[in-house]
Amino acid sequence: MTPKMRTEGSDSTVDEIRQTLDRARALIAQLEGEQSAQSPAADNHVQTIERDREELSARLVEAEHQLGRLMNLYVATFQLHATLDPVEVQATIAEIAVDLLGAERFALLLRVEGDEACEVALSKGLENDLSGLYARGRYQGGDPLIDGALADGVLRLGPSDTSEVIAAVPLRVQEAIVGVLVVLKLFDHKAILRAGDRDLLDLLAAHAASALFAARVYANTDRKLRTLESLVQLVRGT
Amino acid sequence: MQPRKILVVDDSKLIHKMFEVLLRQYTLVHAHDGLEALRCLGTDADIDLILLDINMPRMSGLEFLTQVKADAAFREIPVVIISTEGKEEDTIRGLETGAAAYIKKPFGNQELLEVIQRL
Repeated sequence: MTPKMRTEGSDSTVDEIRQTLDRARALIAQLEGEQSAQSPAADNHVQTIERDREELSARLVEAEHQLGRLMNLYVATFQLHATLDPVEVQATIAEIAVDLLGAERFALLLRVEGDEACEVALSKGLENDLSGLYARGRYQGGDPLIDGALADGVLRLGPSDTSEVIAAVPLRVQEAIVGVLVVLKLFDHKAILRAGDRDLLDLLAAHAASALFAARVYANTDRKLRTLESLVQLVRGT
Repeated sequence: MQPRKILVVDDSKLIHKMFEVLLRQYTLVHAHDGLEALRCLGTDADIDLILLDINMPRMSGLEFLTQVKADAAFREIPVVIISTEGKEEDTIRGLETGAAAYIKKPFGNQELLEVIQRL
């Protein structure tokens, strides 16, 4: 092979390599162009997925809260109507106030027939009450939120300048307002009443009094029945 | 290991009913004071976890917890205090007596489930 022939051969190889490199550059440029065109779409897709994920997380938290609220309402209703023993119904009202609402001090006031006053049927933390409103187990009036709830049957939330009451929950039996549940203080670790607590207060307003009155009526009827049975036995024996 | 059988010690029927609904996936054993809970521990060897109230008649939660932690047969069972006593010193006293966790009433369902699953 002559030197000239070697040079011609090398030139063609170099040309081929150059052409190959040019094609490679063109391909790279093409790929880069495609990638940059696809990248915003991919980014948008990732952002959409991220937003969906956050929305689903928020909905899950909300659903869990809702489930908790419904469970509290179910359990409270179940327990209120699970017995016809007046003492147990009162205990359930107290447990709802303490364990579900977080009430540290409260009173259950029931109207006394033929009297303006209410009896304190149940209370917690009233031993050191300085207001004098609940003296000798009777409420004679004097707190604007309690008096308002007893007058028109509308739930009152406080406290206000003139009342320390946090919630005055009117208790209804059919259309009659027969008493009021007064929440005077929450536990220190329960700062305020929350949205779910409002559902519980409404439940108490609707169910607590009817459960208590049904139990009292049953207890009275049962006592009368026993008295009558004793009398019948006495008469038969004589 | 996930607990399977849980001893619930509380004098509130409402709380027992709530746990029945909330903890359906577990087997529950019910006691209403510390003395009854000790009897349950003596007769039921499979209890994996105890949910314990503090203020109860006959024997308080802390008295019960002290006895449980002093007994080699029961001291490994984790105890979760669930109480309205919410002051920091109450929490510290409960944990120092041997409780694994302290939850304040009223509690969030998710909070309780997370603690149970963690133990």
